[in-house]
Amino acid sequence: MKRMTANAVSIEIENDSKQNDFVVVEMEHLKKSFGNNHVLRDINLVINKGENLVILGQSGTGKSVLIKCLVGLVDPDEGKMIILGQNISELNEKELIEIRKKIGFLFQSGALYDSMTARENLEFPLRRQLGSIPKEEINSMVHEALQNVGLGGEIDMTPSELSGGMRKRLGLARTLILKPEIMLYDEPTTGLDPITSKEISNLILEVQRIYNTSSIIITHDIDCARRTANRIIVIKDGVCVAEGSYTDLESSTDAWVRSFFE
Amino acid sequence: MEKLILHQSQNKKHEEEIIPESFSETISNSIIKKFFLEVSSLTIFTLRFFKEVFKPPYEFNELMKQFFLIGYKSLPLVAITGFIIGLVLTIQSRPTLVKFGAESLLPAMVAVSIIREIGPAVTALIFAGKVGSGIGAELASMNVTEQIDAMQVSGTNPFKFLIVTRVLSATLMLPVLVVFADTIGLLGSFVGVNLKGNVSFYLFFSQVFQSLEFKDLFPAFIKTFFFGFAIGLIGSYKGYNSNKGTEGVGKAANSAVVFASLMVFIIDVIAVQITSLFQN
Repeated sequence: MKRMTANAVSIEIENDSKQNDFVVVEMEHLKKSFGNNHVLRDINLVINKGENLVILGQSGTGKSVLIKCLVGLVDPDEGKMIILGQNISELNEKELIEIRKKIGFLFQSGALYDSMTARENLEFPLRRQLGSIPKEEINSMVHEALQNVGLGGEIDMTPSELSGGMRKRLGLARTLILKPEIMLYDEPTTGLDPITSKEISNLILEVQRIYNTSSIIITHDIDCARRTANRIIVIKDGVCVAEGSYTDLESSTDAWVRSFFE
Repeated sequence: MEKLILHQSQNKKHEEEIIPESFSETISNSIIKKFFLEVSSLTIFTLRFFKEVFKPPYEFNELMKQFFLIGYKSLPLVAITGFIIGLVLTIQSRPTLVKFGAESLLPAMVAVSIIREIGPAVTALIFAGKVGSGIGAELASMNVTEQIDAMQVSGTNPFKFLIVTRVLSATLMLPVLVVFADTIGLLGSFVGVNLKGNVSFYLFFSQVFQSLEFKDLFPAFIKTFFFGFAIGLIGSYKGYNSNKGTEGVGKAANSAVVFASLMVFIIDVIAVQITSLFQN
């Protein structure tokens, strides 16, 4: 396992002999500002194959900006991002699209297409990315994806007819239908009741178990972090200030870090 | 294992020389700056449209869908408006023409008015209100709810899929709607003429076609493409670049209509000047 964090001041590498086989995302000295607002000051992190990395931090510390940089929705001002062995800043548009196909992004709001039914929401990325494939095959993939998130009966409903939890699950199904290698979850349990939050956390674990995906989970929900995280990173003022397992950070000597877990 | 990293914050204080400026100067500078920023941003948006429109892959299915939504769905509104314009124009013009003993010129006068100016301009304004605001609100709402981001992440070029199809559709559908509105407008005029007279359908349209020349039809038809392009482009620009938040949706829809309507008048003035140059 390789670990890298925080201002590149402290870098620790374990199992170095296998690190290149396992690293799927690597960020070095990532910086991003919006005017005078320096959102990301110096982010260094590594995600290993099959690992769930949870990012904690107060609102406005640049967590969402960080994962948007990963898929090219936001261009970083400085720094290097290597995803699946490719330096993102050196890719042209076509190559970037190819990389994006390997990354799933569950948006905070679900980002479902309002004018489409659940079926059409799932068919859209399939048709765009897989081209002309037989209708029967698309139908079977859509049914399977919806069944996996427990929405088999809601196939012809529009997003406005679904509850918040169902919309999150539909968003997850739409993301997973392309079987991404890396999953990015932007506050997957925000606005949901504890039972539905638990269901979503379990789904995240299921995704990790079944597809062996590497995930970045941005959340304020400590229960979700406890259930899903293999490793946690805490961001403060655009810099990673702490890293470790849930139990490590829960008993941190730093009162500010510990306050997240109280 | 936990690692805590001491982060030394680097707060740099920049001392800026403050030049005293009057309130009115500040306001005017801000407005001028905003105007030029908006113009440059719209220019870049327009150039991007021309770059993307010719580059494959082409979004034919979405284009057909937009033809249906923008063109076909606007037919009832355009038909009602066209009919009322024809009817009202005829009723209002009759007393003046009667006063000069020129009542027989009524079909010709109404036809020239509708075909050359009123039909294209009013249809374009109605189109700006319905389609321009619709595109602005739809794209702004997609922006707010991160649907455009989701599209980009799923490997789709949202500019090509959303903007190019809508602008093309508005450009090609408005001329069709104007021809339709003109026809319905003339039918409205026929009804108006017959409210206080007895003119046959054949006689009415014979007079209409005798009064129209190529120079009436061609420039009026060509300018509608520019009207449609401006409405589609401004609606898309306002929606695509809207502020995040629900307030941004309302602002995008509102400014799309206002700006598009203004552009219709500006294009109309330019078109009239160009036409008159060739006619002289």
